[in-house]
Amino acid sequence: MVMAVAAGRWAALSQAAAAPRLRAAALSSAVPAVSGREGQPREASTRRRGRTPQFVRSQAPPRTERMAVDQDWTSVYPTAAAFKPASVPLPIRMGYPVKRGVPPSKEGNLELIKIPNFLHLTPPAIKKHCAALKDFCTEWPSALDSDEKCEQHFPIETETTDYVSAGTSIRNPKARVVTLRVKLSKLNLDEHAKKKLIKLVGERYCKDTDILTITTDRCPLRRQNYDYGIHLLTVLYHESWKTEMWESEKSEEDMEEYIWENSRSQKNALDTLLRIKASENVSNVTEEELLASDLVNDYRNSVIALKNEGETENNMSRYKESVKKLLNVKA
Amino acid sequence: RGDKAVTYEMAHPPHYIAHRKGWLSLHTGNLDGEAGAAERAVEDAFLRRFLAGTFPGVLADAAVLKRRANLVVVCAVLARVLPPAKLYFLVGYTETLLSHFYKCPVRLELQTVPNKVIYKYL
Repeated sequence: MVMAVAAGRWAALSQAAAAPRLRAAALSSAVPAVSGREGQPREASTRRRGRTPQFVRSQAPPRTERMAVDQDWTSVYPTAAAFKPASVPLPIRMGYPVKRGVPPSKEGNLELIKIPNFLHLTPPAIKKHCAALKDFCTEWPSALDSDEKCEQHFPIETETTDYVSAGTSIRNPKARVVTLRVKLSKLNLDEHAKKKLIKLVGERYCKDTDILTITTDRCPLRRQNYDYGIHLLTVLYHESWKTEMWESEKSEEDMEEYIWENSRSQKNALDTLLRIKASENVSNVTEEELLASDLVNDYRNSVIALKNEGETENNMSRYKESVKKLLNVKA
Repeated sequence: RGDKAVTYEMAHPPHYIAHRKGWLSLHTGNLDGEAGAAERAVEDAFLRRFLAGTFPGVLADAAVLKRRANLVVVCAVLARVLPPAKLYFLVGYTETLLSHFYKCPVRLELQTVPNKVIYKYL
């Protein structure tokens, strides 16, 4: 009677043990490590009537002893999971050894459980992932085979960042920042509009790469920030094409680059030349003639180069030559 | 006296973390520029007390908590004291209760050892 009951319960328990094993193979999430406990049900039932609540350790050996060398590892570790010593057939030891001892073995080794392991990401597993994901991928459009074509069709680059973290909340306030980048050469701007736009945006324009970068984060949502960025771009574009009344008061200090016409340098040069000509008693040469002459042109170019590009060996020597020629100083 | 048995975890004081020990709880809250460290710490404290209460005398070592995005994985090492049926019930109870409490999936990954793994005797 006792044996029959025990056998019946043993059958039920072994089914309960078999079911989790099947579920483990099918990527279940709620199953603890079955490896060390399959043997227990068999012993458990026969000993339940025994005296001690402890369960005899002589149960089925761990799964590692029944693993073939060429088994499919992706089914042992299909997803990221903690280290299971009875499922990993490697004799790993981890930890600081005791004096004249060895590092602790893998059974019950908390250090091995603590570290994140990548046993679920072996190359065959990754190949399977890629094969499964291939169905969801589309080809890159063949018409966009070069960077220039991408720039030509999609001149505005939008940059957003998504943040992943561990925790119950997916919200991250840093995710609302949007950065828009556009090359000014792609926008339809004339000289005045371009200069005005560069003055309006100030630091956001990079001269070396000709890229205007607008970063917005003043709105709480990413979509709002993107819309605001596009709105800023539109407004800048239209405003730079307009010419206000007060722009005519632009003085020499506001100029972005050095313009020789109507500058002090031009006045001084012409002054000097006129006086030279007058002292040599040559017939009155007009200003236009002087301006068109090579000497003055040379001088003009060298001064513009000096002012705009800074002082280099080349520029300085050009300036020296042109001044010598202008003032007719020999060697 | 040499008769107090300690596990590896207990034998190493905290200044050995990152030298001889790892971290018992892994999450992104303590990284630079990340938020939520305090919330995770409170959750950890609650989870450890809950486990201590649900598995009295069964836990062989401290529980390792891992967080993977939304999921909380509780890795525990248990001694073979309870019959498997009771253990399964406790596992299911813990998982469902904690999942409903924290509104995120909570998974328990267990390992059983015959006895506590003694590192040395102090």
